[in-house]
Amino acid sequence: MAVSTVHTVQSLSSTCSISNPTKSHLGFNQKQLVFFKKTTTTTRRATTVITCSAGDTVVIGLAADSGCGKSTFMRRLTSVFGGAAEPPKGGNPDSNTLISDTTTVICLDDYHSLDRTGRKEKGVTALDPRANNFDLMYEQVKAIKSGVAVEKPIYNHVTGLIDPPELIKPPKIFVIEGLHPMYDARVRELLDFSIYLDISNEVKFAWKIQRDMAERGHSLESIKASIEARKPDFDAYIDPQKQYADAVIEVLPTELIPDDNEGKVLRVRLIMKEGVKYFNPVYLFDEGSTISWIPCGRKLTCSYPGIKFSYGPETYFGHEVSVLEMDGQFDRLDELIYIESHLSSISTKFYGEVTQQMLKHADFPGSNNGTGLFQTIVGLKIRDLYEQIVASKSGAPLEATKT
Amino acid sequence: MASSFTPMSLNPYSSFRSASNGEINSTKKIMIKMNMITPSSKDGTPLKAMKFKGTQMREKKLTEMIEQKVVEANQVCGEDETSDECKVAWDEVEEISQAKADLRLKLEKLHQDPLESFCQENPETDECRIYED
Repeated sequence: MAVSTVHTVQSLSSTCSISNPTKSHLGFNQKQLVFFKKTTTTTRRATTVITCSAGDTVVIGLAADSGCGKSTFMRRLTSVFGGAAEPPKGGNPDSNTLISDTTTVICLDDYHSLDRTGRKEKGVTALDPRANNFDLMYEQVKAIKSGVAVEKPIYNHVTGLIDPPELIKPPKIFVIEGLHPMYDARVRELLDFSIYLDISNEVKFAWKIQRDMAERGHSLESIKASIEARKPDFDAYIDPQKQYADAVIEVLPTELIPDDNEGKVLRVRLIMKEGVKYFNPVYLFDEGSTISWIPCGRKLTCSYPGIKFSYGPETYFGHEVSVLEMDGQFDRLDELIYIESHLSSISTKFYGEVTQQMLKHADFPGSNNGTGLFQTIVGLKIRDLYEQIVASKSGAPLEATKT
Repeated sequence: MASSFTPMSLNPYSSFRSASNGEINSTKKIMIKMNMITPSSKDGTPLKAMKFKGTQMREKKLTEMIEQKVVEANQVCGEDETSDECKVAWDEVEEISQAKADLRLKLEKLHQDPLESFCQENPETDECRIYED
């Protein structure tokens, strides 16, 4: 006779189903609560099995300006988990959602409460919280996290309208990407890990020039005007979220080339919060110390302007953080491998995994500098975090998880 | 758009940079063999993935909208630079510019036509007519 002890009992939500199996032998399944009821009048044992979808979805928040085709970051992230992320098959072709075997990425623009016309009428930008339905965002992220599928609206960036919803089923990894993943406190509580992509003004300007200069309607002035006009709302509503992020990827102009304003060579800082559960910051050589490292020299020849790393503890909005910084770019495979071999706590499963992941997306922007490198490393850290969470859940299935 | 790429061959790039960049050359060969990067046409330009009429229509529409909305924004902001209307006008420009860039990224870097799976299910719609250059 199998005896199991019930520890703390999670409240039975609507995701649970009740059945009366006729089999007398019951195997123990971590997702099932099994009740034996011994009736005194007969010798037959009645058993009731309650199966709950344990909701082992891990939720990641990614805050970034400009749309949800943060394709570069997202594709790096999903490829770490294996498999390519595709839009939902056969659905609305203007859907912003990406789905792979393990990961689903949704765009928070889908929670706009005002469509383009509505925003124009009310005089609010998409950056303004008044244009977004945080109640719905919270409800749906909560539902997905607890294993319940939702019908999520679609915001169509081409027409500017809110389209009929699409079905989102709870995946292993659920990424919410957009302008406000950490704005609402209730949604923040649901995030297992959060990232903020912080692009400095100079780099933003350089990137938008690269993005828009080929467009007929645009000029240097219009690109500049667009950034300036959005800045007040951005500073008021989006930027403050970075204090809540577990990891911030800060992108700045290089310090290796004086007066460089092309934004091609970048200085990238990976700011990692200390004390985050399941997250061990990446470090160089000696954890907690301060390091300055130029890998180019006798063993490694680099082309101009070279590569410079630094690592050390800092404070960020009152939190203890560790910062790993890379300035410069690599243009050879062996530079990348060399650097990878000197980084610690990168959560790779085999030697060269970072390099392999970088090569996979070699023609994406950032593939030769810190943006691609740190995005890839963050992806590996998230995989590690996910595996730890799953391992801890199966070890103690009835314990309440972090709320 | 004939491609000189054959999966089994180790030397698909006729136009590829010569031995002076031997290191990149050999790395790329490995990457092609491992299906890590996609083929190009004979002159080295990436094969454009635009397949359906609907995608071409979207691209055209977005281009026109960018032009139009920039003009609008300049107009509105000319009247009052600090107004909400001015902010919103430039925000619209940003939204459309990003949407266009996302479409370009999909076509040029990912070699996917966004209508691919929709058109598999609905091949008879106007949007799913094959796009002729």
